[in-house]
Amino acid sequence: MKYVVFVKQVPDTTLIAVDENGNLIRAGVPSILDPYSEHALETAVSLKKEGDLIVAVTMGPDQAQSALRRCLEIGADEAYLLSDRAFAGADVHATARTLSAFVEKFAADASLIMFGKQAADGDTAQVPAEVAEMLGREQFCYCVSVNAEDDHFVTVQDYGDERRTCRAPMGSVVSVSEGDINRRLPSIARFIEASEAEIKRLDRIALGLGNFSVGMNGSRTKIVKSVNVRSERLGKITDGSDPVKAAAYLKELI
Amino acid sequence: MIKITEVPEDSPYTIDECKIRGYADEVLIPETEEDIREAVRNCPSITISGRRTGMCGGSVPYGGTVLSLEKFDHILGVGKDERSFYVRVQPCVTVRQLNDFIRKKGYLSLPSLTEGANEELSADRDGYFYPVDPTELNGSLGGNIAANASGPRTFKYGPTRRWVRRVRVILSDGSVLDIKRGDIKATGRTIEIPFSDGMRMIELPTYEFNMNVKNVTGLYVEDDMDAVDLFVGSEGIFGVITEADLYLAPAHPLISNIVFLPNDGDSYSLSKDFRASGVVPEFLEFFDSGSLDLIRSSRKDDPKFTDMPDIPDTAGSALFFDLPMDGNLKDNYLRVKPLIERYGGSLEDSWCGYELKDRERFFAFRHSVPQTIFDYVARLKGSSAPKINKMGTDMSVPLDRLDEMMEFYDSTIRSYGLEYVIFGHIGHGHPHVEIILKDMEAFRKAKDAYRELARKAIELGGSPSAEHGIGKMKVEYVEMMYGSEGVDQIRSVKKAMDPENRFNAGNVFADGEVRM
Repeated sequence: MKYVVFVKQVPDTTLIAVDENGNLIRAGVPSILDPYSEHALETAVSLKKEGDLIVAVTMGPDQAQSALRRCLEIGADEAYLLSDRAFAGADVHATARTLSAFVEKFAADASLIMFGKQAADGDTAQVPAEVAEMLGREQFCYCVSVNAEDDHFVTVQDYGDERRTCRAPMGSVVSVSEGDINRRLPSIARFIEASEAEIKRLDRIALGLGNFSVGMNGSRTKIVKSVNVRSERLGKITDGSDPVKAAAYLKELI
Repeated sequence: MIKITEVPEDSPYTIDECKIRGYADEVLIPETEEDIREAVRNCPSITISGRRTGMCGGSVPYGGTVLSLEKFDHILGVGKDERSFYVRVQPCVTVRQLNDFIRKKGYLSLPSLTEGANEELSADRDGYFYPVDPTELNGSLGGNIAANASGPRTFKYGPTRRWVRRVRVILSDGSVLDIKRGDIKATGRTIEIPFSDGMRMIELPTYEFNMNVKNVTGLYVEDDMDAVDLFVGSEGIFGVITEADLYLAPAHPLISNIVFLPNDGDSYSLSKDFRASGVVPEFLEFFDSGSLDLIRSSRKDDPKFTDMPDIPDTAGSALFFDLPMDGNLKDNYLRVKPLIERYGGSLEDSWCGYELKDRERFFAFRHSVPQTIFDYVARLKGSSAPKINKMGTDMSVPLDRLDEMMEFYDSTIRSYGLEYVIFGHIGHGHPHVEIILKDMEAFRKAKDAYRELARKAIELGGSPSAEHGIGKMKVEYVEMMYGSEGVDQIRSVKKAMDPENRFNAGNVFADGEVRM
């Protein structure tokens, strides 16, 4: 089996402070492997049998290499960094386009294409589904368990109000939302090995992508403005014993 | 001020982590410093209470008033002086809270205590941290100061004392003493402390305070000592700390490691070789086979007891150490590799982790050994043996006498027909030995064994209380160390500082009124 795991580097959100104006202070916050990406990789490691291959892939700047090193420590066999100045500012669509190109050119034979359910910074949870759509593969998002059978996988997806067990064909896309609390730790030997492993770099040309398919140019979402939204209770109460009066009171407030 | 006049028998205010239950007439929860002063003026007998995580009964009351400082849990800001950055804290701020505050730059929403301190600290690339790690991260900093707490990192950073810049204390007459280092110094062994009725001349004890080992037995003294040091480690017998400034140390990235070895005793041998290898870890902690088994059995009942992977079945002991994550890391690993292999281990049979969330897992794993024993003893106390107490040693000896002490631990405890586990700060000559108690009979034997062990530790140039303090449980060891003359000298300092014996009666030295 060949497991391709797409991961992301994110700021350690547990260490992000908020200044007096309610803005996030990102400066100086260490970058880590996204916890959901780690769940996906852990799942791949738990599925891995002798002869199987785990390939970790991320799109990002040079510093994202440390997230890939982390993947190698946890159990990935190979690591690819998709990096190009032109990739900057990519939205869900442009990101999915770039990742799909990697699968098409370098990992078309993947037995399973894996993601964390979402990234702790972007939180869209759209990339896995969009990659599946672009590749024309089956998608199984929000998995809480993935098991390998001879020629297919069995996934359990948790949608909050229902759990769905499916038979996922080879080559499917899955996103993983849960990990093991007793998750593994690398050995020192593995840590040293990972620190010396090669990280393969691929740029836009290597992926065969045009300038207008990637990054800001290839994005369909444009951020016009972003504002801080604070919801504060007004502390006004109506007892509701007279529904008509209460409705009028509410109407006035709105 | 909140007043609780009916204190139920099972009140949380009358027990600490030693699990000995006291009693109190009332609990006062002051909200302002003026409330504390009022309490001090009006209450004849006060037991000062923080987060009650102490291990020797220091905050367990025997009658009188419990003065709970729980509302004093605010961090007041960051300043900088010629030594370093410091943080101003109220006494019930915890170690965890303080480090989270620094990491998450909580100070940016507070005014700087000195001009530009916030901006300068925020701009520092690697950041700063409070380096004393008493393993119990939920203990109050006031308690940490009062007990001069230490822990694994004392190996490199020293105990709490080294990090206290300033204390603000309500004295026994209700006056406020606000001093930073350098403000008041002793002349030889005499120190003058200002009270509302004028200066009081205090004659300090004449004994040598053992600084060669980790030591918190008795009152700290040295010639020309700083008055701040009179309060650090005094276990609250001289006053109520209402504020303190604590220095920060520059942070550097670290990687935590645990190496598993096949046989019991191997990790102790490896710790000795480790020191000779030239590799300087941040600390060296070890687990014997019994302590690994304790964790294994707790995890069997609850796999989430520690959020770590399973301990390898083949592991008979383990060594835990942090190394700086710098350019020398790989070389350092390769230098210790042959040592590990000499004892049948390998770099494969190990865990390592450097992300904050992983390093916290290592420390929780380390803390799970005493925690398991606390829980076990608490269960016995709640069922078959209500008078039983945990019997964990806290003795340090100079490193070159550690072999002798280790043999003595083994032969003495076995001669009483008891079992034990041993773990902890091996790099500091200060492992913790936990005697496993099954019933009251074992408890009685363990107390005798403990006395022999304490005597031996002193004989070898060590201390019977390296970091847990004396509280009310270990007062006899103060006398064992300094003789009755030394205890009398401590008593007379107390008499001068607190003539009516208002604060924490029964801590540090025996008090006729207080019986555990």
